[in-house]
Amino acid sequence: MLEATTLIVAQTTVLLAVSPFLVGLIRKVKARLQLRRGASILQPYADLAKLFKKQPVISTTTSWIFTATPYIVFASTLTAGLLVPTFTSQTPMNFSGNIIALVYLLALGTFFLILAGLDAGSAFGGMGGSREAIVASLTEPAMILSIFAIALTAGSTNLSTVVHKTAVLEGIMTDPSPHLMALAALFIVALAETGRVPVDNPATHLELTMIHEAMVLEYSGRHLALLEWAAGLKLAVFLSLITNVFAPWGIATTVAPAAIGIGLLVYIIKIAVLAVLIGVLECMFAKLRLFRVTDLLGVAFILALLGLLFFYILRS
Amino acid sequence: MQVLSSIGSQLVNVCSALLLLTCFAIVAQRRLSACVDLFALQSAFLVVTAALVAYLTGNQHIYIAAALTGVIKVIIIPRVLKKIIDRLNVKRELVMYINVQAGLLICGGLVMLAFFISQPIIPLGSLLTRDSLAIALAIVLIGLFTMIARQKAVTQLVGFLVMENGLFLGATAATHGMPLIVELGVFFDVLIAALIAGIYTNRLQDAFDSVDTSRLTALKE
Repeated sequence: MLEATTLIVAQTTVLLAVSPFLVGLIRKVKARLQLRRGASILQPYADLAKLFKKQPVISTTTSWIFTATPYIVFASTLTAGLLVPTFTSQTPMNFSGNIIALVYLLALGTFFLILAGLDAGSAFGGMGGSREAIVASLTEPAMILSIFAIALTAGSTNLSTVVHKTAVLEGIMTDPSPHLMALAALFIVALAETGRVPVDNPATHLELTMIHEAMVLEYSGRHLALLEWAAGLKLAVFLSLITNVFAPWGIATTVAPAAIGIGLLVYIIKIAVLAVLIGVLECMFAKLRLFRVTDLLGVAFILALLGLLFFYILRS
Repeated sequence: MQVLSSIGSQLVNVCSALLLLTCFAIVAQRRLSACVDLFALQSAFLVVTAALVAYLTGNQHIYIAAALTGVIKVIIIPRVLKKIIDRLNVKRELVMYINVQAGLLICGGLVMLAFFISQPIIPLGSLLTRDSLAIALAIVLIGLFTMIARQKAVTQLVGFLVMENGLFLGATAATHGMPLIVELGVFFDVLIAALIAGIYTNRLQDAFDSVDTSRLTALKE
């Protein structure tokens, strides 16, 4: 019991601490590749600290949804983060939800963010909300299918079981092709869901293109801080999901302190590598036109479908 | 030995899966030059697959076929196509007979069809290349679909070449390669076909100021 509580607290702390670092790291990589010096990697922490000190300004036309949304988004993303194995394969919260719960906890946050965007009544909020709804409705089937392709090979929808089995190489001696397809699909989904470059550009507030920024445009002070932190958390959740489902080796499979120490170190290195990769990709590709986003997400959906198909073909 | 052949079979499968992945990228890609690059990438995966099969089965002549694929499909044909594209006044294909999203779904259906058709044959084949055959069939079908769905002569040519890649993969997977003399003949044919199609594209460009093959219906006596 004490052990489980400690692990929950530890995982919460790690997720909260690591997410601004990832955002800062991606920004730094992009700046260096564009021959700028860029802000310090620790800048997002300073931004959050500053925003928490400021007074939030709330429009008089908004309802309770506007005020409640930052807390709902933050809480649902953090809960989703507790379902994903990070540095130890046995997450203490794994009894309370599986992959499907994870997907819909994230969807809950997206849903309230869209509502809040509409609630303020500004044109940008509505535009951002409608775009987010397009992207979310297209990523969801791709995400669910790719995750099912993985769940089938492991024989369980519980993420801890999936990761643990892969980490100790037990009962997953199947061909890597379904995993490859699912990985490609999940990576595209991760870029779309976290608002990275081919779909959305987190670095600008250009009215023609913004999606996530348009919805949070009316927020300020601690509300904005919570939403920014939640966006970072979502990125951390997706990166943890990708690294630990497809390459969990090095993760702590027991609760011995030494194993957890190694697991933590390996986890941070792995997600940092993925974050650098995302930064490089953002420099290589231009943002897609909104109506071309459906092509990209269509590819993700088909890939996930093929992953499922390959599983059945190879098993028969 | 058992472990080695199982790992080898998995590697061949992964390479074939990568071939299929590039197929989908070609279907979704609108930029002409990017289509050609993706074709070159697909051919490079094909070289790796063929070399793997050659290594695992010990058939020396597959190495020669792989090397020829490398020279012709990874270097020569993409270069020729790039030169043609430089002359054209279009860089991307905006109108297609079937739009990208529907095209992707249809290609997904084609892959299922290919798997379904080759299901009864797969258990009869050798262990090494069990499901490369199904993937090869799927690639042939997707290549054919690309030829039908696209309007521009260049992308139709890429579709044709993708089909040929699928046939080569199928031949390597199912029979460990055709006799060398047949392969040489096929390579020569593909090279000549690509060159002729290149000339045809240039003529189209000169005659209609466009490489849209649907314009050909305007040719009447």
